Amino acid sequence: MEIEQLEIRDFIARSAPLERLPGGLLDEIAASLEITYFRRGTTFLSPGEINHSVYLVRTGAIEIYDETGSLYAHSSDGEWVGHRSVLRGGEVQLTVRTLEDSLLYLVPGELFKRLVSDFTEVARFFDERATDRLRSATEGVHGYADALNTVQVRELLHGGALVVQRTDSIGEVARQMSQLDASACLVVDGDEIVGIVTDRAFCTQVAARGIGVSGPIARIMTPNPITIDPNSVAAEAMALMARRNIKHLPVTHGSEVMGILTATDLLRRQGHNIVYLVNRIHEAKTTEELVTLAGQLPETLVALVESSMTAYDIGHVVSSVGEAITVRLLRMAEDELGDPPIPYAWVVAGSLARDEQAGRSDQDNAIILSDNYRESSHGEFFEQLARRVSDGLDACGYEYCPGDVMATNPRWRQPQKVWSGYYREWIESPEPKALMYTSIFFDVRAIHGTVSLLDEIKKDVLARARGNSIFLAHLAGNALQFHPPLGLFRNFVLEAGGTEEKALNLKKRGVVPVIDLARVFALASGLAEINTQDRLEAAAASGGLSETGMSDLRYAFEFIGALRLRHQAEQIRRGQEPDNFVAPERLSSLERRHLKDAFEAVRTMQKAMGSRFQVARLS
Amino acid sequence: MNLADLLFRSPERRRRRLASSHPTGPLGAYLSRPLPSDKVTIQDLEILSLDLETTGLDVCKDSILSVGYTLVRGGRVVLSESGHHIVRTDAPLPRESVVIHKISDDQVREGQELVDVLGELVPKLAGRALLAHFSRIERRFLEAATQEIWGVKLPLVVIDTLEIERRKLGRVQSEVAPHYLRLFNCRDRYGLPRYRAHNALEDAIATAELFLAQMAHRGRSLDRIRLRDM
Repeated sequence: MEIEQLEIRDFIARSAPLERLPGGLLDEIAASLEITYFRRGTTFLSPGEINHSVYLVRTGAIEIYDETGSLYAHSSDGEWVGHRSVLRGGEVQLTVRTLEDSLLYLVPGELFKRLVSDFTEVARFFDERATDRLRSATEGVHGYADALNTVQVRELLHGGALVVQRTDSIGEVARQMSQLDASACLVVDGDEIVGIVTDRAFCTQVAARGIGVSGPIARIMTPNPITIDPNSVAAEAMALMARRNIKHLPVTHGSEVMGILTATDLLRRQGHNIVYLVNRIHEAKTTEELVTLAGQLPETLVALVESSMTAYDIGHVVSSVGEAITVRLLRMAEDELGDPPIPYAWVVAGSLARDEQAGRSDQDNAIILSDNYRESSHGEFFEQLARRVSDGLDACGYEYCPGDVMATNPRWRQPQKVWSGYYREWIESPEPKALMYTSIFFDVRAIHGTVSLLDEIKKDVLARARGNSIFLAHLAGNALQFHPPLGLFRNFVLEAGGTEEKALNLKKRGVVPVIDLARVFALASGLAEINTQDRLEAAAASGGLSETGMSDLRYAFEFIGALRLRHQAEQIRRGQEPDNFVAPERLSSLERRHLKDAFEAVRTMQKAMGSRFQVARLS
Repeated sequence: MNLADLLFRSPERRRRRLASSHPTGPLGAYLSRPLPSDKVTIQDLEILSLDLETTGLDVCKDSILSVGYTLVRGGRVVLSESGHHIVRTDAPLPRESVVIHKISDDQVREGQELVDVLGELVPKLAGRALLAHFSRIERRFLEAATQEIWGVKLPLVVIDTLEIERRKLGRVQSEVAPHYLRLFNCRDRYGLPRYRAHNALEDAIATAELFLAQMAHRGRSLDRIRLRDM
């Protein structure tokens, strides 16, 4: 038979981890395959069954659930299902179901086991996937995924958990938490855990909804928290947190409370390189050293993506590196130029301010000087300072801002009163040009110097913007200029320009529309949050956005952001410059499906915003 | 003997009649096993998906160029039971055969004799249903070939994925555009991948997959669909 000419054989030869197997063996695999087809929603492996085959998804999508009914893993085109049970001797422990109509290739279990025992790369591939969903790590960043797989939750705990009774008052619990510097506590009724309270609850419940502090803590707790066993591996805890979007996980063994595992505990462990990286940045003596350290950012990003952290957390981590480099450059410049002659604040704008930096970022920055600034005596110092920092950032990979929004531009290096004037003008006469700046200068954070210089402006700006319906209408109109594509299969709206024509710009068509929407919601409610997801959450808490609208947009933003990060990590792994352009054919059918939902959510909110802020009346 | 056999010249009745007069050889092997009963379920039925590439559509003038087949058993395509043969012929190949089927004159000169190919294929059909997309071609060329070689038209039980699709679509629209029923357009509707067309084995596998998809979309398990429901 001419099996070697079949397309099926080509597909097998392309599927990891079989790519490097000898040709004769690939022929043998192809010749011994069976093919089956399941309609969507078909459960084809159930706990307790005996499975003799390993499935390779040719087309379609598969969902795998654990015994508690939580989603354990997804598989799509070119990915494997059923290897766990075959390697275990056949007994199925997870429920495997088709999410879409699926065509599956079956490799006989005996042949599969032979591949695993004869080829270490095959063994390694399936071994890494056996315990969790983390992607196989590339050379050089291998330690990350491994660390998460081998470390047990108990090793990450430090100290026990604060435990309070459900009848304790909110005020008393708050006092205990702040005394112990605890970010969360467990609420019990007798011996039984009935809820968890995080420090966020004091903002979202007590402050935002005006719940009195004399009431019982049970009023503001999240009931029935999910718990984890101390013997579970850290990767499992991370996957659980990511899936449920929680940052605190009570660790219990039987009825004994061992502690509360936080996202920070995990971050500290699996991101020890990042903590280390930030430390070294703060100790760097020369720009050259900084450039070398900044060079580690791409591989760090790959590791973060592989550790299945959320886009939200990755954004914070990557931004913390950007922030550290900027602060270090400022300190080095001050060391050489001498102490600043007058107070000033170094302000960052855009993605760094929002804690949303990804694979590649330009620099956006500005200086707010105190009002006793005199050009003749102080001008030289700040010009020099701005120049050094801006050049240093560029050398570290944060390229010069194409729109010249940098402290080196005299326009963006002004005393506080001039800045106040800028903002007043942007709010009161929202010309198109002004609106362009709003999207930059309404996402700002002071990271060095006299931070209060910015805080005072912000307070005034938030108060002015909130009640100004004309400004908000313009801002909303501005937020509607980029729409997500209408559809994914045939209606991909392609971006103009060179080689990137056949790809979807995830940033412009997916990320930016949500950032813009969140900014409008935040300013309309006078909220100081800068991060997009924080803005959405705060807007919902203050009643400026519905709970559904909030969670839909957050999900969309998180999903699109995660997809973009995965794409950039993939490019870095291939030695390319990360960008935002994803070729549709590189998306699995599952990703396409979720992306379609995400775009749909963004479009729905854009429409709602258009009518709510009466954008149509502007023209 | 049941009533149906008496009233209709059923293939099974013909098989039994022929079996006594052709006890040996590949034909004997085929005829010695009962054709599948129409009560058998798709789960239990063995099906040979067959595709023939020919020099044209006219049974009298055209000849078989290649034969590809694979087995469908228990809801799975079993590739270890598949085969592909190029048939030797002296007739010059029409240009389109070369272009579409990618079979060259040289390959055909070195191919197997039709009698040897049938000698392998026909016993593999024994006790099984034949599956093809637009089965008229496979059925007619196969009947003509066995007629020529053994003097017997093979009694066959045939399942046709095109017919299944036509009937399914016919329920919602009175007229179905012909291109809608082509193998690759049918496969598209079930989310099956696009194979490069026109190697006989590849087409036989493609047809077998389409059949599995059609059965899956009936929404009943295979042990509750019977051959007569085709």
